Amino acid sequence: MSVISALRNETTSWYEASARQRIDALVDRGSLTEFVGPAARETSPHLAIFGLPTQLDDGIVVGEAALDGRAVLVAAQEGRFMGGAFGEVHGAKLVGLLRAARATRRDVLICFDTGGVRLQEANAGELAIAEIIRALVLARLAGVQVVGLIGGRAGCYGGGGLIAACCSTLIVTEQGRISVTGPEVIETNKGVEEFDSKDRAFVWRTMGGKHRYLIGGADRLVADSAAAFRAAAIGALSSPTVLDAGTLDAEQARLERRLARFGTAEDATEIWSALGIDPVDDLPALDESSFLARAGGKRESADGAR
Amino acid sequence: MKAWATQKATRAARIEAGSRYARGKAVAAADLPRFLDAVLRPGDRVCLEGDNQKQADLLATALADVDPAKIHDLHMVQSGVVLPAHLDIFEKGIARRLDYSYSGPQAARIARMLFSGQIELGAVHTYLELFARYFVDLTPNVALIAAVSADVAGNLYTGPNTEDTPTIVEATSFKGGLVIAQVKEIVDQVPRVDIPGDQVHFVVEAGKPFYVEPLFTRDPAAITETQILTAMLAIKGLYAPYGVRRLNHGIGFNTAAIELLLPTYGETLGLKGKVCTHWALNPHPTLIPAIEAGWVEQIHCFGSEVGMEDYIAARSDIFFTGLDGSLRSNRAFCQTAGLYACDMFIGSTLQIDLAGHSSTVTASRMAGFGGAPNMGSDPRGRRHSSEPWLKAGAEADPDTHPHLRRGRKLVVQIGETFGDQNVPLFVERLEALTLAEKLDLDLAPVMIYGDDVTHIVTEEGIANLLLCRDRDEREQAIRGIAGYTDIGRGRDRKMVERLRERGVIRRPEDLGIDPLDADRRLLAARSIKDLMLASGGLYRPPSRFRNW
Repeated sequence: MSVISALRNETTSWYEASARQRIDALVDRGSLTEFVGPAARETSPHLAIFGLPTQLDDGIVVGEAALDGRAVLVAAQEGRFMGGAFGEVHGAKLVGLLRAARATRRDVLICFDTGGVRLQEANAGELAIAEIIRALVLARLAGVQVVGLIGGRAGCYGGGGLIAACCSTLIVTEQGRISVTGPEVIETNKGVEEFDSKDRAFVWRTMGGKHRYLIGGADRLVADSAAAFRAAAIGALSSPTVLDAGTLDAEQARLERRLARFGTAEDATEIWSALGIDPVDDLPALDESSFLARAGGKRESADGAR
Repeated sequence: MKAWATQKATRAARIEAGSRYARGKAVAAADLPRFLDAVLRPGDRVCLEGDNQKQADLLATALADVDPAKIHDLHMVQSGVVLPAHLDIFEKGIARRLDYSYSGPQAARIARMLFSGQIELGAVHTYLELFARYFVDLTPNVALIAAVSADVAGNLYTGPNTEDTPTIVEATSFKGGLVIAQVKEIVDQVPRVDIPGDQVHFVVEAGKPFYVEPLFTRDPAAITETQILTAMLAIKGLYAPYGVRRLNHGIGFNTAAIELLLPTYGETLGLKGKVCTHWALNPHPTLIPAIEAGWVEQIHCFGSEVGMEDYIAARSDIFFTGLDGSLRSNRAFCQTAGLYACDMFIGSTLQIDLAGHSSTVTASRMAGFGGAPNMGSDPRGRRHSSEPWLKAGAEADPDTHPHLRRGRKLVVQIGETFGDQNVPLFVERLEALTLAEKLDLDLAPVMIYGDDVTHIVTEEGIANLLLCRDRDEREQAIRGIAGYTDIGRGRDRKMVERLRERGVIRRPEDLGIDPLDADRRLLAARSIKDLMLASGGLYRPPSRFRNW
């Protein structure tokens, strides 16, 4: 081992890691068997029309692996290829995985890192989102847990945000962002007064992991390390949630309460204060443990739907 | 009989005219248009303070609103043309002639206005040259400057961003000129006196701080592994063998990578205390981990950096600070320090030609120079010796008697062979030449002249131009590290191999560097948040750099 590898920080940053590095660090060492891997060369049939490069795995890794000895199915989006966006092949791989989960009754881990649907293959991408949601819900109704892990550079936007909302558990870091419409798109359509996408502190306190966690938009907040994600994923699978009509009724009631309680808030900090957190101004700067100590007990929880 | 004090008389008349809109020295912001109409004269030479960081923004907007029928043909002499208002002044016919040094964000618009003849250009200067000319033939009649606060006597507190202010005021106030300052507030007592009140004639309360651009903040998250490789090459191939202790860094990502590698990679090379101890440098957030690890002894600053105020105040052993605790920066002194007291300048650029000339100008953008040429040039007036200076001098001129040989400042250009948007760094012909032809300039705007450059670093290796004995060798040394660019592909293989045997070109493997070791995990901080945490929470990054 060279001097250089010795001094490297051994904690793999989830934010910095690639899709493959994330899966490697998440599941039991060496347990991944990839489905439709790069060797299969299932590349996008659309990107070449636009003169854009393709990737041999179309930006998503899917396969089976073991997590703490338990057989699971895993998927990880590569945020550095097309912003992790859903295309035809990319989407089909995830649909297939979720259908296999239902058929084999194996739980699923999805590492989201996506801006949504690829504009260049929008119709195929949108259809894929619908098929994924259907397959995910059917798997959950069959008792399968689907855990979403969010902490990449692209966040989880567009159709990815919709899929994430259907998961049984979401694990998120502070850097991870969850929403449907992205900051730039809101600003373009509604004006900078409505949403200043360049005010990054504002973007993160509106869409970032800490805020989502506080309002029940995510279930577990972890530090930015693969080890923390692994521990949280193991924890999530050992405390399963149920999806049935009762869950949806409870969630509908919670969302109505939330709107009544926070609907007039102009900024996330007002919501945090209303939750009884004090002080709120330095909340974004706190590390995970100080944050959880101050705010963890005051958050809203989501009960398997959000 | 000849009158010998007309300038003082003119100033007295300006003060009398301006006083109609003032209570003592204080002018209300609402009265600014009428006040400026009263104190300015057509044809005045005006310094509107602004550089690459701080801006007298309220005064700039007010000047752009004066009536061009009354005030016109002004000659603007200022460091920075940065705000839209700086160019509106020319568009409206209020000003005609311009001498300046830096125009970063307005580079495209200033080029268009130069092409169309809306601006009559004196010259594009380096900061030090423009400051020098303030005292020789470009002395302002009126200076419009910016400070944090003032008292009723006009004493000014500039806070950490003192920058150009003392130089401008010195030239203006002691040569019969009028000094007008915008401040956030007028207070009973200023925290420290940066500019004595008797040099300041009017003060305008803006009600808000002057604008400051966080130009020197580089997000570690955006540093690539190729940039890390160039940084490793620079540290092991230049900093270590020359023993560079006194230096200046540019603002690019390559040098930010060097700063972040010092406590990790630099530590493994045993370089702590041997390199990078004394700096002429703005307070770069990316230097925080090296400071905290005890690498740095002292830093003098041109200006400040947004968010670094509390950190600087808490590290007064490192930075120059005032009685109030905050940074005292001074652009003119720091540029002088960079020119004469540093043994190395290292920075990135946009284009390098086969002679080693470099430029950040493209055919449609006139970015100006700022201070890089002051730091990035060999000062012929230097007379004190140091190890790196002597070693570089000996490499360049081995045959002269050591006691009669000039040393050389290390002037290093660092970058990737293909830069932003995959544009090649190396070119046959600088676009600066095209621009010079279009504008009929005497000089092409060259940032660093080839004969000042001592080394060029890319991911392909280091070219040591000091060891080149003629033009051909120089050209092949540059081609030899230009990789797969057209310039690199045009190299003479045999000659490049011979240069490598002589150590003129050194590849990563020649230095014992494995390119696969260039990994982001080597960075002492990989995000802005890491920098904040490394500072113990003292560094407060501006919102635009946050992802939390």
